[in-house]
Amino acid sequence: MTSPLIEAHGLVKSFGTFRALDGLDLVVEAGEVHGFLGPNGAGKSTTIRVLLGLLRRDAGDVRILGGDPWRDAAALHRRLAYVPGDVSLWPNLSGGEIVDLLIRMRGADPVTSRREELIERFSLDPTKRGRAYSKGNRQKVALVAAFSTDPDLLILDEPTSGLDPLMEQVFNECVAQATARGATVLLSSHILSEVDRLADRVTIIREGKVVETGRISDLRHLSRSRIVATLSGTAPDLASIPGVHDLATAGGQVSCTVDPEVLPAVLAALTTAGVTALTSTPPSLEELFLDAYRDRVGAGR
Amino acid sequence: MTGWRLLLRLGLRQDRVLAPVALAVLVLMSIASAAATPGLYADQADRVRAAEAINASPAIVALYGPILDVTSEGELAMTKMTVLYAVFVAVLFIVVVRRHTRVEEETGRTELVGGTAVGRHAPLFATLLEAVLLALVLGVLTALGNTVSGLDGAGSLAFGALWAGTALVAAGIAAVTAQLSASARTCAAYAAGTVGVLFVLRAAGDTGPAWLSWVSPLGWNTQVRAYGDVRWWLLPCYLLVSGALVALAFALRSRRDLGSGLVPTRPGPRTGSPRLADAFALAIKVHTVTLLLWSVAAGVLGVVFGMIAPGIGDLLDAEVAQSIIDELGGALVAAILSVVAVVLTYFAVTVVNHAGHDEEDGRAELVLATATSRSRWFAASAVLALVGTAWLLVVTGAGLWIGYVAADGPGIGNLLLAALAWAPASWVVGALAVLSLSAGLRWSPLVWAWPAAFLTLSLLGDLLELPGWLTGLSPYSHVPSLPADAWSWGSAGGLSAVAAALLTVAWWRFRERDIG
Repeated sequence: MTSPLIEAHGLVKSFGTFRALDGLDLVVEAGEVHGFLGPNGAGKSTTIRVLLGLLRRDAGDVRILGGDPWRDAAALHRRLAYVPGDVSLWPNLSGGEIVDLLIRMRGADPVTSRREELIERFSLDPTKRGRAYSKGNRQKVALVAAFSTDPDLLILDEPTSGLDPLMEQVFNECVAQATARGATVLLSSHILSEVDRLADRVTIIREGKVVETGRISDLRHLSRSRIVATLSGTAPDLASIPGVHDLATAGGQVSCTVDPEVLPAVLAALTTAGVTALTSTPPSLEELFLDAYRDRVGAGR
Repeated sequence: MTGWRLLLRLGLRQDRVLAPVALAVLVLMSIASAAATPGLYADQADRVRAAEAINASPAIVALYGPILDVTSEGELAMTKMTVLYAVFVAVLFIVVVRRHTRVEEETGRTELVGGTAVGRHAPLFATLLEAVLLALVLGVLTALGNTVSGLDGAGSLAFGALWAGTALVAAGIAAVTAQLSASARTCAAYAAGTVGVLFVLRAAGDTGPAWLSWVSPLGWNTQVRAYGDVRWWLLPCYLLVSGALVALAFALRSRRDLGSGLVPTRPGPRTGSPRLADAFALAIKVHTVTLLLWSVAAGVLGVVFGMIAPGIGDLLDAEVAQSIIDELGGALVAAILSVVAVVLTYFAVTVVNHAGHDEEDGRAELVLATATSRSRWFAASAVLALVGTAWLLVVTGAGLWIGYVAADGPGIGNLLLAALAWAPASWVVGALAVLSLSAGLRWSPLVWAWPAAFLTLSLLGDLLELPGWLTGLSPYSHVPSLPADAWSWGSAGGLSAVAAALLTVAWWRFRERDIG
């Protein structure tokens, strides 16, 4: 078993009186796609900047690719590629120039890289100037530069926040190909479906602390659907079905959250009662975080 | 136009430090000049001699403009203020207008604002309204200050009005240039270039064919004869020019889309050059055009002043003349160089400032997440800033020399060396700018302040006879006035050592601090 590619324990980082990271732990094993989830301001980007040696930690231990990111930043960065959440480009350089510059700065050669293929796949116009790109296109420039070579580690900070669904698909393929080559990916996001599709394990953080960490399958309870149904008949006894939560009945309307396994049973029961209207929505991310947070507080009691 | 009130308040809030400080410095310079002049001359005859000495020197006339009425105390007192400081007024208003128009547009903030209940013309309208307000404040305070300092009241009113007029013309120029290119830096270059051309036209007109001075609003500053027989009818001309420029700006704005310029952007290369592979190459690539434009400007100004300078020989003996121009130290070429050196230091400032923006916007993060070390990133900007400034001084010196020889001037020593003598002082100031940025992003406004602060200090120091230790704080005060004085290894070595020490501290600090 190889040692983890990223190993951080008890990270603390304060900005003035604000404690952005408060004893955060993060372990990313070699070869996995690790989802890094949390609401805005939870400390995802701060963690990533500490991992990249851009910010100096106040306390805690960090190893990344076997080195100390603060001391050995430049040497370690040869082996990784980073895509920031908010990509800012040089206004006067063309997209193609920036892609090549970033590849060369990592010590690779763009001529022998996959840049042409990726520019094609992401349908990026490389002749536009940096200032003329939209947010999504700026992100594509950074993504093309990151996926063009074969880094051991990809650190992606909300990389799809500006991409359209078609480009998200291309992005998913690229991540899959990277892992097939043996690369490790740290994927920060607050789009649960994306993480669900790509990641093997996730770490959920909130206010600079880890709330949950583990395999996606272990966190299945996070993907309950919320069902709201208007019934013509009497409400069925849903409470007796295991896997139904937060049940509320008001007039002819029933709402609850349902584990995926029992969804057919719940729908069958509702159909029998005569459904006139039905909506099924995945819970919003904020609800999930609140859930995860409450669970932890509850467990601590 | 909807929404201009909010935008005006937003603009004033953004400028709440820059505008008051810059206006205060300009007004104080004028007051100090007005108040100090009576003490410098014993009687009217002394003043007339001084004024005639100025008029006898084409180099000084080129730099400051002539004194049309040699008996006027106010004109003598305002020698530097009338044209040269009016250029600084113009620069201030270009900065203000540009930062609220094209800079906002390039960063996408105008789009944010444009999505709200704000009319298409509102941002430009609010910006120009702010410029008018600031110009009024500048004009009124200058008029009051000069009157209180003992100059003629009506003359001071005319003088305040001509500074305000210069400000409005500059705002108009910036408003037009902001429409031309999608790049904020290109717009700055166009605006600065226009002011440069107006200055050169006036310099040429004041020393040669007089009609050229009448072409340039900067030439009008002298022709208004604020402290003589005032040409009041000339004052509305500033308004006419400014109004025409503003109308042109609005017309151009109507013809283009948000975020684009009238001059279309050419598509860039599909691939990057193999040489564009590290932080140094990146810094050079980013600043090449800027450096080129600065070089052309420095070269042209050098040649122009070099051609005008041969009057120098007679003046070096004239004791009175020397006392006038001694304020920045030394003889005529030295006086020109002492101003040019401060201006050229701003090249270093723009490079350092650009590095600050790279960090603020996240481009530094993009680079520092590659195999580029912090030291390399730091060195790229610092070296380009300091070497670039030295290069520009060399270009100026070469220009002076070429112009001087072309005009058959008598031998006055090595003009290249005279220009280069200012390099160590500008390095110290450049290194202070680097240090400010290394201290942290919140100190980045200081980057701009250093050269202006030292220039103000040395000028006020001479006018108010401040103690030597205080004026000695300015690195520029330690430069020997070549070619009148001899080259000093002590000055060059000492200043270079200070610059090196400052850079070392800055580098050490930059390696230790958080990025962004």
